Amino acid sequence: MATEVLKTKAEQELAQQFETGMPNLPGSDVGWTKAMREAAWQTYAAAGLPHRRVEEWKYTDLRALLKDAYPPAPALGEALTAENIDAALGEHVAALDCHRIVIVNGHFREELSDLDGIGGQVEVRSLSEALSDPSDWLQNTLGQVAPQDGDVIASLNAALMTGGVIVRVAAEAKLEKPLHLIHVAAVKDAAGLATRNIVDVGADAAVTLLESYTGHGAIPVQRNAVTELVAGDKADVHHIKLQNDNAHTAHLSTWMTRLGTRASYRAFQFSTGADVARNQIFVQFAGEGGLSHVSGAVLSRGKQHDDTTMVIDHAVPECESREFFKLVLDDDARGIVQCKVNVQRDAQKSDGHQIAHGLMLSETAEFDSKPELEIFADDVVCGHGSTSGQVDEDLLFYLRARGIPEPQARALLIEAFIGEALEKIERDDVREAFSALTSSWLKGE
Amino acid sequence: MPAVQETVEQVREIDVDKYKYGFETDIETVKAPKGLNEDIVRFISEKKSEPEWMLEWRLGAFKRWLTMDEPKWSRVHYPKIDFQDLYYYAAPKSTEGPKSLDEVDPELLETYAKLGIPLKEQEILAGVRKQGEPSHLDEEAGIAGGEYGSGKVAIDAVFDSVSVVTTFKEELAKAGVIFCSISEAVREHPELVKKYLGSVVPTSDNFYATLNSAVFSDGSFVYVPEGVRCPMELSTYFRINEKDTGQFERTLIIADKGSYVSYLEGCTAPMRDENQLHAAVVELIALDDAEIKYSTVQNWYPGDKEGKGGVYNFVTKRGDCRGKNSKISWTQVETGSAITWKYPSCILRGDNSVGEFYSIAISNGYQQVDSGTKMIHLGKNTTSRIISKGIAAGHSDNTYRGLVSAHRKATGARNFTACDSLLIGDKCGAHTIPYIEAKNSSAMFEHEATTSKISEDQLFYCQARGMNEEEAVALIVNGFVRDVIQKLPMEFMAETQRLIGISLEGSVG
Repeated sequence: MATEVLKTKAEQELAQQFETGMPNLPGSDVGWTKAMREAAWQTYAAAGLPHRRVEEWKYTDLRALLKDAYPPAPALGEALTAENIDAALGEHVAALDCHRIVIVNGHFREELSDLDGIGGQVEVRSLSEALSDPSDWLQNTLGQVAPQDGDVIASLNAALMTGGVIVRVAAEAKLEKPLHLIHVAAVKDAAGLATRNIVDVGADAAVTLLESYTGHGAIPVQRNAVTELVAGDKADVHHIKLQNDNAHTAHLSTWMTRLGTRASYRAFQFSTGADVARNQIFVQFAGEGGLSHVSGAVLSRGKQHDDTTMVIDHAVPECESREFFKLVLDDDARGIVQCKVNVQRDAQKSDGHQIAHGLMLSETAEFDSKPELEIFADDVVCGHGSTSGQVDEDLLFYLRARGIPEPQARALLIEAFIGEALEKIERDDVREAFSALTSSWLKGE
Repeated sequence: MPAVQETVEQVREIDVDKYKYGFETDIETVKAPKGLNEDIVRFISEKKSEPEWMLEWRLGAFKRWLTMDEPKWSRVHYPKIDFQDLYYYAAPKSTEGPKSLDEVDPELLETYAKLGIPLKEQEILAGVRKQGEPSHLDEEAGIAGGEYGSGKVAIDAVFDSVSVVTTFKEELAKAGVIFCSISEAVREHPELVKKYLGSVVPTSDNFYATLNSAVFSDGSFVYVPEGVRCPMELSTYFRINEKDTGQFERTLIIADKGSYVSYLEGCTAPMRDENQLHAAVVELIALDDAEIKYSTVQNWYPGDKEGKGGVYNFVTKRGDCRGKNSKISWTQVETGSAITWKYPSCILRGDNSVGEFYSIAISNGYQQVDSGTKMIHLGKNTTSRIISKGIAAGHSDNTYRGLVSAHRKATGARNFTACDSLLIGDKCGAHTIPYIEAKNSSAMFEHEATTSKISEDQLFYCQARGMNEEEAVALIVNGFVRDVIQKLPMEFMAETQRLIGISLEGSVG
């Protein structure tokens, strides 16, 4: 039937934004970037906002969750100081010793950043500038790590993106301190943000990349953030995300990662702030012997909705993947973990294992899990597990019998539960900061 | 382990002709004209001498079916089915009208003999022994063929669109159990049929269930009254024989309060180049404290080595644990069919009700299996258990798809799921797609799954002890599926082990 599906208000507003805003988007006057944006828009428009009848979005219906599409955030956000940034990050994360790359409303703010001592090893550039004056490198790089089946939200991002940064880590560079990409939303009125980071890690390089998403103030924000990451052969990448957007934020984030031969990728996502969060992680093994460990912790309460969706694509033999997620869900919160491990026909000796644990603190919390395996090669070892339940009454009793009052005993058990996920972070400083965030969260801060 | 030895021997015995039920019976049949329209629905209803309300029910389903689209979400691929190119009704001519067992067409008896239906039933079917008489087999086994002699199985034999014969009816009637074809039940027990038919799988449920509701031709009906433990195993044997026919059977089993029944189902079809459609609906209803055990050995023709022909097995099976403390247990062994697409499910409505699903799905050649279960926890303190073993060989694809969900009010729901897949060869695929939805904090769900190939070490170990590779594979596979096989009634265990050998033959090397 050729009947056109009715567009929702948000979809109509997005269409309007693209139509009127396109001429002002960076690079819209350049041939290939203009074509790229238009093609991406077509991909998005053909499907519209994903809804529950789309299998991958079964549990996160954007048609229902996004009533409006907010207008694009103004290019230059609020005048922010370093103190504002620290406050937005919170004391624990602000205290981390990192090379700071501050991005406000999608725009790279050199004056707030701190890149001392990484010259020659890391090159950081604003994406909006790069798009306005695109190089061949950008043309060859942008969008090349897109997931196999495409992704509507990443396409929407490509059509509307206004900025972000390009981070290029030189081959063999070994960075001691993490690179901290700090995405701050600072708006006066409800606004939408489409940002993209392109990270290129050279062969044999070792880097920790920390991405923080947070807000200055409590104005509603719709965020569509994409990070494309290419890890060269034998590169060692730690990729960590803190999602601590304000409670009125719809946080859509997509990581698209491609790993070279024997590259090692350890990713962690700590997701807590936003009202609605969809964290997508697509990892593709492009060279043999790669390793991808993706883990995360989710803390949700109130009416928060947190969805982590992963696709791990074993396209080549002898790669190892692990996914490990822990969710604590209170009140009416809804937590979702979907992970698809795909082992392609010739990807022999693949080793994949995924686990998701949901801990529900209230009667009305909900945990949905879909651990999926799609396997076309026979010489593989793959497994998945998922559990859900509430705080173990026996353990609680044990602690109380030892004189610990119930609220503390409960908090202790929840901290221990999340602690197991945090242990996957190899950097002590980051782990401790997240651990402190967990404690504050438990105290209701 | 004698059972395993048997499998090994079976594997050895197998000749080129893998599918031994692939013969065709030459028997005169009555068919409805090809195609599907309201007149065909009326024709079927008339053939069955159905009351008006049943016809209305069918027509309602048919009207709805016309508005529905074929579902596309499953992981199976097949050319579009032309629903107008099928016969919706075919019956052996000789079975029209009431008859005694002795009048059964010898061709039919021979068919069932060839299919290897347990000996005692063949005796009954062949009229060697009158119903209720002690069997010489019982005597040989040293068992007095008493009223409820051991190991008796009552059979409802369904040939194409109709039930040919139902055995042990009188003996079952003594216990108050009603076991007959569904068409007979519509005529004889309309109050029960009206009350329960479509109450678990409504006519609007899904494309194939709705089609079935419109055109179902036969199937079994079981009613076990309050407090009765059904004195013997009940069984239905389905056989597709006619060309270009679709088989649409409907099974309805009601276990009243405190009763118990065990039901087995077996199916085969001739080898043909065309694909045949089988779209059945099975509804189970367990009231307070009742238990239903439903076992299936599905061995429809799977198609030939190149993937030509075979049965499309699109089945809706659902059990409703309607009463408190009720239990429904599904056990299935899926070795046949070109495409299997079924999800025997349990709705755990009653408090403390229990749902179980044990499955072995084996695919070889170009078979496609998309099977699993749904456990829907609605009542308090409900428990469910899922054990699924998928084995993929050849060019086949084997998918486990399952849903476990706990409703908001389902406090104390428990589920354990283990689904394991085994891959034999590098051209096949094994997929696991579980959905786990916990809407209640006290729900405790555990899910685990593994996929692996047969361990080289185990193979080497067996071969070092003088087994050839095929025997070793059969042995290891039998070990892999043992958890499920043990849940099958005794009568089916041996057959299943043989089937596993057959299905995997040709998968090594």
